[in-house]
Amino acid sequence: MLAVLLTLLPTALHAQRDWSRQGIDIDEVTVMGKRPMKEIGLQQTKLDSALLKENIALSIADVLTFNSSIFVKSYGRATLSTVAFRGTEASHTQVTWNGMRLNNPMLGMVDFSMIPSYFIDDASLLHGSSSISETGGGLGGAVKLATKATDTRGFNLQYIQGVGSFRTFDEFLRLSYGNDHWQLSTRVVYSSSPNDFRFVNREKKENIYDQDMNIVGQYYPTMRNRSGAYRDLHILQEAYYNTGRGSRLGLSAWYINSSRELPRLTVDYGEEKAFENIQREQTFRGVVSWDLLRSNWKVGARGGYTYTWSPYDYKRDVGNGHMASMIRARNRVSTIFGQMEGEYYIGKKWLFTASLSAYQHFAYNRDKNIITTAGESSIVGYDKARIELSGAVSAKWKPHERMGVALTLREDMFGRDHSPLIPALLLDGVLSKHGNITAKASISRNYRFPTLNDLYFLPGGNENLRKERGWSYDAGLEFSTGRKGLFSVSGSATWFESRIHDWIIWLPSPMGYYKPSNIELVHSYGVELKSDLQMQLSRDLHLNVSATYSWTPSIDYGRNLSEADRSYGKQLVYIPLHSAAATATLGWRKWSLLYKWCYYSERYTMTSNDIMLTGTLPQYFMNNITLEKGFSTRWAELSLKGSVNNLFDEEYLSVLSRPMPGINFEIFLGITPKWGR
Amino acid sequence: MTILSHITRLALLLACSLMAGCMEWEYGYTEDFNFGGRGLYIVNEGNFQYGNASLSFYNPDTRKVENEVFFRANAMKLGDVAQSITIRNGIGWIVVNNSHAIFAIDIASGKEIGRITNLTSPRYIHFLSDEKAYVTQLWDNRIFIVNPRRRAITGYITCPAMTMETGSTEQMVQIGKYVYVNCWSYQNRILKIDTTTDTVVGELEVGIQPTSLKSDRNGKLWTVTDGGYENSPYGHEAPALYCIDAESFTIERTFHFQKGDAPSEVMLNGAGDTLYWINDDIWSMSVDAQHLPTRPFLRYNDTIYYGLSIDPSTGDVYVADAIDYQQQGKIYRYSAEGELLDEFYVGIIPGAFGWKE
Repeated sequence: MLAVLLTLLPTALHAQRDWSRQGIDIDEVTVMGKRPMKEIGLQQTKLDSALLKENIALSIADVLTFNSSIFVKSYGRATLSTVAFRGTEASHTQVTWNGMRLNNPMLGMVDFSMIPSYFIDDASLLHGSSSISETGGGLGGAVKLATKATDTRGFNLQYIQGVGSFRTFDEFLRLSYGNDHWQLSTRVVYSSSPNDFRFVNREKKENIYDQDMNIVGQYYPTMRNRSGAYRDLHILQEAYYNTGRGSRLGLSAWYINSSRELPRLTVDYGEEKAFENIQREQTFRGVVSWDLLRSNWKVGARGGYTYTWSPYDYKRDVGNGHMASMIRARNRVSTIFGQMEGEYYIGKKWLFTASLSAYQHFAYNRDKNIITTAGESSIVGYDKARIELSGAVSAKWKPHERMGVALTLREDMFGRDHSPLIPALLLDGVLSKHGNITAKASISRNYRFPTLNDLYFLPGGNENLRKERGWSYDAGLEFSTGRKGLFSVSGSATWFESRIHDWIIWLPSPMGYYKPSNIELVHSYGVELKSDLQMQLSRDLHLNVSATYSWTPSIDYGRNLSEADRSYGKQLVYIPLHSAAATATLGWRKWSLLYKWCYYSERYTMTSNDIMLTGTLPQYFMNNITLEKGFSTRWAELSLKGSVNNLFDEEYLSVLSRPMPGINFEIFLGITPKWGR
Repeated sequence: MTILSHITRLALLLACSLMAGCMEWEYGYTEDFNFGGRGLYIVNEGNFQYGNASLSFYNPDTRKVENEVFFRANAMKLGDVAQSITIRNGIGWIVVNNSHAIFAIDIASGKEIGRITNLTSPRYIHFLSDEKAYVTQLWDNRIFIVNPRRRAITGYITCPAMTMETGSTEQMVQIGKYVYVNCWSYQNRILKIDTTTDTVVGELEVGIQPTSLKSDRNGKLWTVTDGGYENSPYGHEAPALYCIDAESFTIERTFHFQKGDAPSEVMLNGAGDTLYWINDDIWSMSVDAQHLPTRPFLRYNDTIYYGLSIDPSTGDVYVADAIDYQQQGKIYRYSAEGELLDEFYVGIIPGAFGWKE
């Protein structure tokens, strides 16, 4: 299959496509040999704005599914989606937004379904060791997200509305204003849907009874995805000021108000209206930044604040429509963030950087209200604060035009615990200018500290947990070639390996609750392949094809718990051995056709890697297609777009017992007035 | 046709097969089991939110085990977190906690014959008659009254000093017209229910979080507490084993464990004269004993003992090892003298047993 993939779907190192453009400028290969000093040795996947702005209904999780080699684990539509690099877990992926880390200090992970792709202007994935230049703790890698100032002159407005299956409505509005110094932007995304897609439930049966309650027939019911409604509002306000003398100031403030029901399991036999299961979230994130640029040095400072309030309510009807709380959990996190960084170039051969960041978290968890033995009410939960400091210095050296070396040293301190020095050494070298064949390699040490829930959650929190520690290595080759105006082809192959000791995992305990503990060793290794083809087929016709493939054994070498334990040497649960994704775009004049495809191999749900009838997650393929037509009038640019998701109406599961939608449709209408133009 | 055409066709075929049509779903196939004679049903809890609970059947005579019996007999999943099984008159009633359901199966074939649904978070079912049973709940301050024949919820018993959030009723034992219930999660009581009025008529405080409840040949109730957990606002204490005189509804004897121990799963042999429980090791003790034993019946052997059952006919002891809770668990069968007789893998987190006589 790999051979077929590579034969049929040559793909992308850097997804450099703008599928809504009327033509493409195939000249990238001529500049690929120029490698910025800051990117020496980096194993990086950049997602350009065309990918991010493909459609307003997409979250970053959706974009990553079809455009990267990392594993996206989704619990369903508009439901928790996490991403993981190179056979690691979601908590091993560090995520930054405008320099500020987004990982929830209680959970350690980020829900990518809560990040609208239209709110991100610049996204890159830093694989393995490459993440250390950005942040510590990314044992798998890091996702770097950012907003950017537009180059608006005067007022601008863009409005897009999407209407889709299951009464789904997506709205996007952007107002922007700019002049020589100021760039102001307000973006709003509002998405809502009852999300009650139909599916045939193959995991339960409905009974047909006679009058004596004997079963006389059974069938698999066609059901609706009840309790899956969502309503997400995102508002992003940005202001940028450029003095024109090398100083830049920026402000970005992002507010989220989300209410999402948690869809019922396929094996749920409760009455639809008898239960209410809702996760809400209100989050504010704000970052102010200042950068001063000079010819050979740069300094910058950032300050930020995050506030998240996330209540979870599980209720049932106890009669007469009165919904009584069974679980009433409340989480609140406040984080104050500060960062300083500097860069200094000495000639064209040396670059030195330094950064220091600090996060002060205040976390409050109320999981349950109880009545004590004394008859008083009390709360099961925790209220903790933790400061997290991280400092890094790096030296990047280019002794020769064709060779680069980067050494980063980082030190993390969480609370009173600190990591030993974290080194990362990255190398690259151009082996041949013909084809821009470049070799890259890296080696690094890394650590991840337990989250606040790992340490303090009641019950189960384990204050004796050790931080995870590991070594990561990778090496690979890249190439790019082409002919200006005709075609370009690029590709890369990377081998990677990591050994993570003291991997933290939550498992049930004999006391009836889950408890985290350190397992001895997880060995992940594998191969990532990426390639990209761009072709100008005629004056008006162009084709872009890109694809990725990953082979990621992630093997548990933890201590055998007993003679009966069959998990030793087995693939970790839910991590696919093979995954692949491809997109192809055909553009003709103002038409464009986009085809997206992804594949995940079978995932194990048992640590022994046994396959049981009740616990199987077969491989699946997903196919989406989008057709767009642009219209230009005297007063506005218009676009009409139609998307078909799950084109072949596949029945598939990403997570056990969570239904996924079959074929579904959405139409988008976009309008950008030509004010003053 | 040129070689190039062949290659093009082959490439297109491969491309099509990569796009779709490769899902590997198999469903709708049922098997006909016929479990004659005695046997042991093992309820495998499965992982919370995974919906991978399952049912195994073991024949102690042939030493043959069949796994995933419910799925194979009915071509559907058992559900999410199977908690317990109660066998009565040839019907096995499997309580599936997070599926809000109880399935009734024919214990000879494993086929479903009915179900009671829309329960809150059911834990155990106790029969008063063919037409009346109690179902205990977690996250509900009510014990549900059901009509097993009509598969319907018919009423509720409201438990005192419990909210929905702190609701927790567990195992039930009947002596005469009274049913006794242990209250576990953030609770410390045994409730006494008058089955003629379906009301709670008595409460007895024991230690923190009584996990199980059984009655012996002398009409005494036995419960063991887990003592809570460290930093729990409800308290954390040394767990204890309690012998309760049902008639006077008072504690007769208390046996204290070490703080930090986690005893559970009090069981009795068929004669009702020997107690068994899990506390890392497997322990046994005469119901007339005045002190805890100093040596275990079976030593802890890096296993996570999760379930326990005593063959009521032979006295053989069946111990369930959940291993890491994320793979097929293992059952060890020992003689009453502690000799290993058999071992076999079942489903994920084997926790409850039901004897088919």
